[in-house]
Amino acid sequence: MTETSQFQDYKTENFFDEMFDQSESLKARFHYDKIFQRLDRLTESEIAERRQQADSSFLEHGITFTVYGDDGGTERIFPFDLIPRVIPESEWSVVEAGLRQRILAINLFLNDIYHGQKIIKDGIIPKEIVHSSKNFRPEMVGFSPPQDVYAHICGTDLIRDENGSYLVLEDNARCPSGASYLLENREIMKRAFPQTFSGMSVRPVEAYPDLLLRTLEYLSPRKSQKAVCVLLTPGVYNSAYFEHTFLARQMGIEIVEGKDLIAIDSHIYMRTTQGLVQVDVIYRRLDDDFLDPAVFREESMLGVSGLMDAYLKGNVALANAVGTGVADDKVTYAYVPEMIKYYLDQDAILPNVPTYLCWRDSDREYVLNHLEHLVVKAANESGGYGMLIGNRSTAKEREEFANLIQSNPREYIAQPIISLSRHPTFCEDGIEGRHVDLRPFILYGEDIEIVPGGLTRVALKKGSLVVNSSQGGGSKDTWVLREF
Amino acid sequence: MLSRVADNLYWMSRYIERAEGMARMIQVHQSQALEYVQNEQQLKEFWSPVLQSICAESVQGDGHDIKKLGHALIFSETYANSIFSCISFARENARMVRDQLSEELWLELNNMYLSFRDQDAEALYAQGSDHLLDKVTRFSLVFQGLADATIPHGEGWRFLTLGKYLERADQTSRMLDTLNLRTKESTRADLMSVLSCCIALSAFRQQFRGNLSLPNVANFLLFSEDFPRSIRFCIRSIDHILHSISGVPTGTFSNEAERLTGSTLAMVNFTDWNQVKAKGLHETLDELQSTLIEIGQYVFETYVLLPSEIKSLGERSSAQFIQAQQQQ
Repeated sequence: MTETSQFQDYKTENFFDEMFDQSESLKARFHYDKIFQRLDRLTESEIAERRQQADSSFLEHGITFTVYGDDGGTERIFPFDLIPRVIPESEWSVVEAGLRQRILAINLFLNDIYHGQKIIKDGIIPKEIVHSSKNFRPEMVGFSPPQDVYAHICGTDLIRDENGSYLVLEDNARCPSGASYLLENREIMKRAFPQTFSGMSVRPVEAYPDLLLRTLEYLSPRKSQKAVCVLLTPGVYNSAYFEHTFLARQMGIEIVEGKDLIAIDSHIYMRTTQGLVQVDVIYRRLDDDFLDPAVFREESMLGVSGLMDAYLKGNVALANAVGTGVADDKVTYAYVPEMIKYYLDQDAILPNVPTYLCWRDSDREYVLNHLEHLVVKAANESGGYGMLIGNRSTAKEREEFANLIQSNPREYIAQPIISLSRHPTFCEDGIEGRHVDLRPFILYGEDIEIVPGGLTRVALKKGSLVVNSSQGGGSKDTWVLREF
Repeated sequence: MLSRVADNLYWMSRYIERAEGMARMIQVHQSQALEYVQNEQQLKEFWSPVLQSICAESVQGDGHDIKKLGHALIFSETYANSIFSCISFARENARMVRDQLSEELWLELNNMYLSFRDQDAEALYAQGSDHLLDKVTRFSLVFQGLADATIPHGEGWRFLTLGKYLERADQTSRMLDTLNLRTKESTRADLMSVLSCCIALSAFRQQFRGNLSLPNVANFLLFSEDFPRSIRFCIRSIDHILHSISGVPTGTFSNEAERLTGSTLAMVNFTDWNQVKAKGLHETLDELQSTLIEIGQYVFETYVLLPSEIKSLGERSSAQFIQAQQQQ
């Protein structure tokens, strides 16, 4: 039998490759060396076996997400790639410090925006930008949420550019999802490569559910007894429903739907077979809009009528707070470095992707003239919807976006097309480079906690820059190594 | 426990029991038809009481081919009690209460569902319907075994078991009722079929030593003390579980479900074949079925609804609208 090498045809091309340095000879970076050696020696049948194991494990366990658009929502597995992304401790500690700084600034910003609005008065951020954000909630003005924290759970998306520098792509400060995949991916990798895994001293991630529960319990208005926390899900047809049940089970709390809760005299109760039980903290995986039909969207059947009243009276805590969306509006995002300077008097450790704000006349003019070279995004969309990638668009699409921008400049931003770093990934014709990003999960309770790494998402389509699960993305396990 | 969760567990287990009953019903009658039915007219006459007893007159396939009728009863997406529908509903309920189920339990159900969704079941059916129907029956029995062996016997398990016995009592009564719905007097084969549908053949033989007659079969399926599919056994189990849910001692009652179950239990405990005969077997079974439906309704009102909501049933919004909103 001849010696085969899985990587013999691998090309890094002109991208920053996570595993290999830029030299001609395809040399694995030091922190990747062990897993590279292991993967390179794998035979086709070993790979097929492991992939099959992973796929059937996901499907059997019902680790699926729902794709919208089809009849009734089709369940699919979130494709998983067996080659882990590896981050050395030295790199991670910088990222971690950057994320801490960012969540602090964002929370100070939210607190300010819903109270004195000093940042507006001092001319750092224009008033119109904040007040015109769809997710600015006037109901929250003057209200102080428990412990003055707004964004308790944040899933910031990071990318790396052609030089390997980490950049923040967006802050998901509403209901970020993906933590369950982070945990499940790890379980699968431990089974697929046990020796390599233990040989590389990978930092564990299993504490996430415990940390999350502690973050929630910290918010309870009733300190005299153990907090009753629940996870509020939109329901079984939501794309992240698996994650909701997974996290609820891991934390040992009830997963409830709106109809399981009822507001009586400004308190929230859940209906149980033994009668009503008072609820202290709601980890809601429901957008603000649907939370309370008495205050927000009237036709919502997913929320609880009277929830806002109970919340504003301090009888129940919500994580995240209502109105955090104003901070992850893509226009506000552009100001986060300024916020960090303003509130913390520090320079941002993790820079933003340069962003053109179409409401500014000069930016808009530039954007309209350079659509082909930019990524245009709607300020309040997520999941890879409502977006134009200039160099992959048709003239017609660009025209559509030009019209959209002109008719509603506030709602659009543009960024240069960053060639995201690539990572070796199993593809149909062997291992090829695919673009990746990283979504770490930041928990802000009594302390700020970040489980090492996060969810690495990978754009499985050749050349694609879109990593969202709804658009053909997959995921990888992320290994942060202990200092060695 | 959340009221909705109790409701989901109850229905999950009802649907699984129903799928099992359906599988055996199809299997037994298909095999009986092979032996005793010679032409199309006979075939229609043969299936008609069976379909009537399970409220499936509308599922006639194209009315001629046994294979097609069986296929519709197994795979139909429009007939709500087809095996596929039952398994889909069971899984849908299970998906909402994953945190209450053991991994083993979920895997069993999800794998069964996947095999239907991915056409594996069709392929198996094509090789011979017994392969698939055996698999469904076995699945249900494994599922019930796992439910007993892998989850705590707390409140969730009680609702799950309640669903099982209510459905089982209903199934047994319907199978017995096919004997009434036949125009001719029950033949030996008919009686054997009913017993097979309730997996009662060997238990019956032990008790009656092969003395196969309508009174004996009815007696056994209605009143057997210890056969786990007899009506009496099921009602007694329901009575026991309802009381362990509420904590109220048996012999007394704290809600309508308990009262009705208790009085039905007294009825089956103190009735014999002569009374049934005087009243009519069909009438007796019909009344039993209505009572079982009522018990189910009362359980729902007691444990799932708030008192203020009981009258406003019916004002439920369309499922599709809710589904669209959940996707946000």
